[in-house]
Amino acid sequence: MKIMVCPLNGPRNISEFIYGGEVKAHPDRGSDAEWADYVFFEENAAGVVREWWYHAPTAYWFIAERNTVTEEIIRTYDAKELFKERVDFAPPPERGDG
Amino acid sequence: MAVAPTDFRRRSPVYRELEALGAEFAEVNGSAAAISCGREVAAETEQARTLGLCDLSALRRGGFKGWRTSEWLREEGVEVDDESNRAYPQTDGSLIARLSPGEVLILGDLSGASAILEKLMAAWNMAAGEGTYPVPRADTNCCFGVTGRFAGAMFAKLCGVDLRPEKFANRLVAQTSIARLNGIVIRADLGETLSYTLLTDSASASYMWGCLIDAADEFAGAPVGLDALRKLAER
Amino acid sequence: MSGAYRLPGPAGLLIDRETPVDFRFEGVRYAAFAGDTVASALAAHGVRTLSRSFKYHRPRGILSMAGHDANTLVTAGYMVNARAEKVVVSAGLEVRAQNYVGSLERDWAALLGRLGRFLPVGFYYKAFYSPKFLWPYWERLIRNLAGLGRVDLETPQGYFDKEYLFHDLIVVGGGPAGLSAALRAAKAGAEVVLVDENPVLGGSLNYARFGAEEGRAAKMREKLVAEVEAQANIRVMTSTFCQGWFIDNWFPLVRGNRLYKLRTKGAVVATGSYEQAIVFRNNDLPGVMFGSAAQRLIKLYGVKPGERAVVATAADDGYGVALDLLEAGVEVACVVDLRADPPETERTRALTHRHVPILVNATIREAVPGPQGKNVSGARIAKITEEGRSTAETDRFNCDLIAMVGGYHPQMSLLTQAGGRARYDPEGAIFRVDDLPESVVAAGSVNGSFALDAVIEEGSVAGWKAAKAIGLEAGRKPIEKADRKAPAPDYPWPIFPHPGGKDFVDFDEDLEVKDVLNAIAEGYEHIELQKRFSTLGMGPSQGRHSHLPAARLNARGRGALLDEAAITTLRWPISQIKIGHLAGRIFEPVRTTAIHHRHIERGAKMMVAGPWLRPEYYGPPATRTENIRKEVLNVRNNVGVIDVSTLGGLEVQGPDAAEFMNRMYTFAYLKQPIGRSRYVMMTDLGGVVADDGVTARFHKDHYYVTATTSGADAVYQTMLWYNAQWRLKVNVINVTASHAALNIAGPKSREVLAKVCGDIDLSKEAYPYMDVREGHIADIPARLLRIGFVGELGYEIHVPSGEGEALWDALFEAGAEFGIMPFGIEAQRLLRLEKGHIIISQDTDGLTTPQEADMTWAIAKKKPFYVGRQSVDIQAAKPLKRKLIGFELANEKEPAPLECHLTVRGEEIVGRVTSIGHSPTLGKTIGLAYVAPDQAEPGQLFEIKIEKGRIVKGRVVKLPFYDPDGARQEL
Repeated sequence: MKIMVCPLNGPRNISEFIYGGEVKAHPDRGSDAEWADYVFFEENAAGVVREWWYHAPTAYWFIAERNTVTEEIIRTYDAKELFKERVDFAPPPERGDG
Repeated sequence: MAVAPTDFRRRSPVYRELEALGAEFAEVNGSAAAISCGREVAAETEQARTLGLCDLSALRRGGFKGWRTSEWLREEGVEVDDESNRAYPQTDGSLIARLSPGEVLILGDLSGASAILEKLMAAWNMAAGEGTYPVPRADTNCCFGVTGRFAGAMFAKLCGVDLRPEKFANRLVAQTSIARLNGIVIRADLGETLSYTLLTDSASASYMWGCLIDAADEFAGAPVGLDALRKLAER
Repeated sequence: MSGAYRLPGPAGLLIDRETPVDFRFEGVRYAAFAGDTVASALAAHGVRTLSRSFKYHRPRGILSMAGHDANTLVTAGYMVNARAEKVVVSAGLEVRAQNYVGSLERDWAALLGRLGRFLPVGFYYKAFYSPKFLWPYWERLIRNLAGLGRVDLETPQGYFDKEYLFHDLIVVGGGPAGLSAALRAAKAGAEVVLVDENPVLGGSLNYARFGAEEGRAAKMREKLVAEVEAQANIRVMTSTFCQGWFIDNWFPLVRGNRLYKLRTKGAVVATGSYEQAIVFRNNDLPGVMFGSAAQRLIKLYGVKPGERAVVATAADDGYGVALDLLEAGVEVACVVDLRADPPETERTRALTHRHVPILVNATIREAVPGPQGKNVSGARIAKITEEGRSTAETDRFNCDLIAMVGGYHPQMSLLTQAGGRARYDPEGAIFRVDDLPESVVAAGSVNGSFALDAVIEEGSVAGWKAAKAIGLEAGRKPIEKADRKAPAPDYPWPIFPHPGGKDFVDFDEDLEVKDVLNAIAEGYEHIELQKRFSTLGMGPSQGRHSHLPAARLNARGRGALLDEAAITTLRWPISQIKIGHLAGRIFEPVRTTAIHHRHIERGAKMMVAGPWLRPEYYGPPATRTENIRKEVLNVRNNVGVIDVSTLGGLEVQGPDAAEFMNRMYTFAYLKQPIGRSRYVMMTDLGGVVADDGVTARFHKDHYYVTATTSGADAVYQTMLWYNAQWRLKVNVINVTASHAALNIAGPKSREVLAKVCGDIDLSKEAYPYMDVREGHIADIPARLLRIGFVGELGYEIHVPSGEGEALWDALFEAGAEFGIMPFGIEAQRLLRLEKGHIIISQDTDGLTTPQEADMTWAIAKKKPFYVGRQSVDIQAAKPLKRKLIGFELANEKEPAPLECHLTVRGEEIVGRVTSIGHSPTLGKTIGLAYVAPDQAEPGQLFEIKIEKGRIVKGRVVKLPFYDPDGARQEL
């Protein structure tokens, strides 16, 4: 079984973690096409990817950089490193049908 | 004076299992705690030195969580070191485990008291405590003691983290999966006796109790009452 | 007597001559010693046939005496397909042979052997598939003939469990290489676990003969084992099988009924090698066995393997076997050496000295069966003319034992699983593994080393390397002096096809040389295709003895060089594993509420709901419908209580709590008054309805939110994920297990509550519908939510779970005079159906939009953002595809549809029935279903396809079915 190093709890069996998808920027007021891309498409790259992982026993979300070719986990770190600021949303543009 | 679990509104999630063992109960914090599990204290103390399982659900416990938890504790005069997954003994006999930079768990002593927790709960309100919020550990979690020299070996049957005493020092904390349940294991030796405190989902208390009994069987482990642990703590 | 073939002591390392044990084989009683296996005990009595082969039902006996092959599969007690070579006898053990028709001695199905030419390779695929309608017949016949053991369905359940192990280093294999590796690594400070499948350490030192003089191996063994045992940081696990290597050095070990899950930092693999057969006609007869099998019988069990032997060898080790046989009192008729010019060694000299005829550049062309085609009675020896060919002219030697030493094949599964690559080395005529990760080191014969001194040195180096790889200060590299190559076997082609066939390559599947060649001729050239078409290597011995000859035949069959010989992927489990090891004591947590035992006491039928057990209904299953009906009517007319502790509970607190709620849920929460509750609905990023519940605002900065029973954990996780990105000043705590919750509902619920509640004014005026309060019920601190899922006056009472049982008791005591009754999930489903309330994941699915579920009333359209908003907006702008409606049956007399029956329009599927039931309150069948948007007006009829394709009609009814003005919940 794979080991992942949780930034809070140290090395743990991968069965303690839940995968949370690729780290993607949440589009604010983007086009519908950009939105669909955000919701439905993953890069699925062969190489180093940046992903959300969740340590279930501590309910802790963090970020892992992982090489999908070599199965090597390069680095794991707290989400604060990437998400530093409070995020707010502007109201969406008017649509024909509310 | 002997009491029954149903004399109280507040009940341990495994009180039926303890009753079936012929346990003797006494009041702790407004509920009945098993002070023995049907044997003499001396015998149960010996048992607890090899491998004892003890329901600690009646003891005081609580916690605080939020981005200002450390600051607030400091303001209230409670210093907890920064390192997570360690437990820090307090002068009142409580143990404060830091679960993360923003969360602590407070365990009272074997008498059932925790002056620190009482004080903090009395001081806390939504306004004063902005950024830290009480975690209802007394009801979220059941709490079991696993004591004695085989305790580490027994945990190896339930848990993928190496909790053997030579690898998991006193006062270390592991938040992990135990018998496929999320839980917190704190090593808190009683005197010379190896001892772990296990907190897990109170709704799965019967399941976990059964897993512990099953895993302990091979080491002749057995349930013991609170008095046996108090004896160990005395030395 | 423990058998006519039993040798006098001290021979027999594993048996205890002081402890006799009786067991039965095929109904006959046999005397044995403690420590004997079924195979050794039977061999001591001269019983040669232990089973019948898979395809041709040929008699089979001991081949490896190591449990490596499938020749001795028996049923021992309840255990089917047990290896007789590994099953230790116990008093009264009943052992039966397998896979015969009639009796083991006279197996009628053995006639199949004569039909061999009608059963070509791949015959399953070819012979029986046309005409197609006959296949089920053939399949049954083949399965009956070909099945191995028969499982006794009365087998008592065994206790199997699991344990985690943690060590720095695993050394797999307790032979000379493993012992010295473990010692060296331990001396460098590593915590080592030394694992061996046999009951004692020593490996080949226990039975093989190194050099000419007897006793050298035993002395070496004693020395190494004593040192290992004195080393405190080596844990020895014997009778333990390492079943595989998994990423980050994770090993499943099997011992007894326990599966150990071992984590290490590194490994030394010293698993040794499998001895190989020589391929000649009738090489499968009982009495034909590996040289090492004969040695194991003698040394481990004190059993004489025969009276007169022919030893056929492709290596110097055959001479050691011959010497051992002589010393055990077996006459050696001759040694047949395949090699044209074998070097003279101390062992060849010792044999010459004892006047044993040595025939070089010769092979056994054919083993001669004895009476009834069973035990071997002689060997026909021929000169080798060219590679793989011999003269038709032969000399016959009478014998009852053929010991063959055909070479070795490394036990390299762990190495290739760890990422190593197996390559055929034509020079050594053996497979070797390279490209290993740094933390995995090979030593001994698995690494192609055979000379004892070299093996021990290599073990030491491996221990040193592994210790270094895991970061220990390992000191200087041990010196290697011995000649690693010394007597290494290197014979490339011990395969002698016979025109008459029965020259077996794979004993498990009865595959002969021509089967392999035919598979290649038919185009299954790739080694993996060859395996699947011919089934070679797919039997219980997993190619241990067939991979090497098959690889050689494959290379030659393709016209390729032997360098290009390849083997198929070696997967875990490496050896036999019981289902119990995999399935035994899987932890399955069960969540029960604080009131669980009260439900049981009241006769509840419990059901699984997500991770929880919940009451489905109360009362005997025989009167299920009536029980539920009574529960429903009691809520409508009196007062009922349901345990809703399983609902998720989340505390959302902080200055941004309102903003956070507003983002997570579709409704508006910024202006939700303190002391009021509000419905919550969550959509996911795709705009699909994901969860719902209720939120109560107790403070401007504090919302208490419920989630569905099965959705609670996911909602919590989702909230934390968003806030890891948004960084709002809000804190979320999952308090699902800390609250017991009861919903008391019915026109008399207020009267019941009033009896046990002193500090909350329950009057209609003071405490209106949808308000929330904090106070005490029966002196228990409680949160009260006046909400109405079931559509009656009702209150959800949330209390600390430790006091849940006391709350239940208090309510029932207070409610007795009002006819209070518990109700279960089924009654609740009907009650809410009457009110037209949906249940997420029952009335919605993975694609349901708020528009389809008619839930747009729960969306605040003016706010800037909520999760999934853009998707919801996109969908809202498109034409609706389906709509959830309430319906009744057009004709009550027709059979009622079931949940998930399809709603159709002609051939087109338009939706499905999501909920249906007979309403006790309304006296008719009502339901919810998805229909096409143009069918959704009240009064319209639509079609439902029920069982057997029958169509019944539903009529759309405006929701709710019951109390449309909501007067009852506002009482």
